[in-house]
Amino acid sequence: MNDREQKMAEELVSIFEKVLVAEEKSLQKGYFSNLSLAEMHTLDAIGPYEARTMTETAQILGITVGTLTVSVDRLVKKGFVNRRRDEDDRRVVRISLTREGKLAARMHGKFHKVLAKHILEPYDEKEQELLLSLVSEVDDYLNTQVARYDNDDRIRQTAKDVAKDVRRRKTND
Amino acid sequence: MTDSEVPRERMNDKKDQVYSDLLNILTEELGVSPTDVNPNLDIRDDLLFDSLQLYSFIITVEEAYDIRIADEQIDKVHTMNDLVDMVYDIINK
Repeated sequence: MNDREQKMAEELVSIFEKVLVAEEKSLQKGYFSNLSLAEMHTLDAIGPYEARTMTETAQILGITVGTLTVSVDRLVKKGFVNRRRDEDDRRVVRISLTREGKLAARMHGKFHKVLAKHILEPYDEKEQELLLSLVSEVDDYLNTQVARYDNDDRIRQTAKDVAKDVRRRKTND
Repeated sequence: MTDSEVPRERMNDKKDQVYSDLLNILTEELGVSPTDVNPNLDIRDDLLFDSLQLYSFIITVEEAYDIRIADEQIDKVHTMNDLVDMVYDIINK
C-alpha cells in the first residue's frame, strides 16, 4: 500500500467513525437523548408522511422484519411511532411517526444538513461541484462492494432454507 | 386557474384566512401573545423560536392543511408574510 492509499484508508475509516460519534453526541446533548442512533435512523426510514409497512421499512434499513419489530416495539413504547393493521389487508402492519417522532426525525435531518453546509461552505461553486462528484464516485464504488455482500446474504438465506427443509423432512419422518 | 388569473380580492381573502389560521396556531398551540404577531414579524428573531419550536410550528401547519413543507422552503421563510405566501402557494398548487 502506497502513502496515498494508506492515507485514504485512514481517512475513510476516520470520517465514518466521526460522523457516527458526532451524530451520537448531538443526540445525547439534544432534545431527544432518550433515542439511540439506531432508533433515530429507524424513524428516518419510516419517514414523516405516509405510513410504511414493516417489510418496506426493514428493506430500507437492510435489516430483517424480526429485528425491526424489536426496535419498533421500543419506539411505540417511547411514543415516537404509531403501529396499526392495514384496513384493507389485516395481515399487513403499517407504521408511522407520531408528532414527537416527526419532530425528532426533522431535527436529526437538520443535523445532517448543517454538517453538509459547513463542509461545503469554504469552497466556491465549482469546487463544491467537484467535491460532490468525487464523493458520489466513492459512494458508487462502496455500493458495488455492498452488492457483493448482498449476494453473500442470499447465499446465507439459501443455506437457512436448506436447513429448514432438512428439519421439516426430519419432523415428517 | 393560475395565480395570475385569481382575482386579487379573492387571493387576498384566502391569504387573510391563512394568516388568521397561522395566528391561531401560534397563539393557541405555542402560547405566543396575539399582540406580539404582525405580518412583518421575523419568525426566528422576533419570536425567538429555536429549531425545535420552529419545526413544531411547521409540523402543526402541515397537519392543519395536510401539506408538506420541505426544509429548503422553511429556510427561505423569514416573516409571517413569507410564511403566508408559502402556505398559500402550496395549497393552491
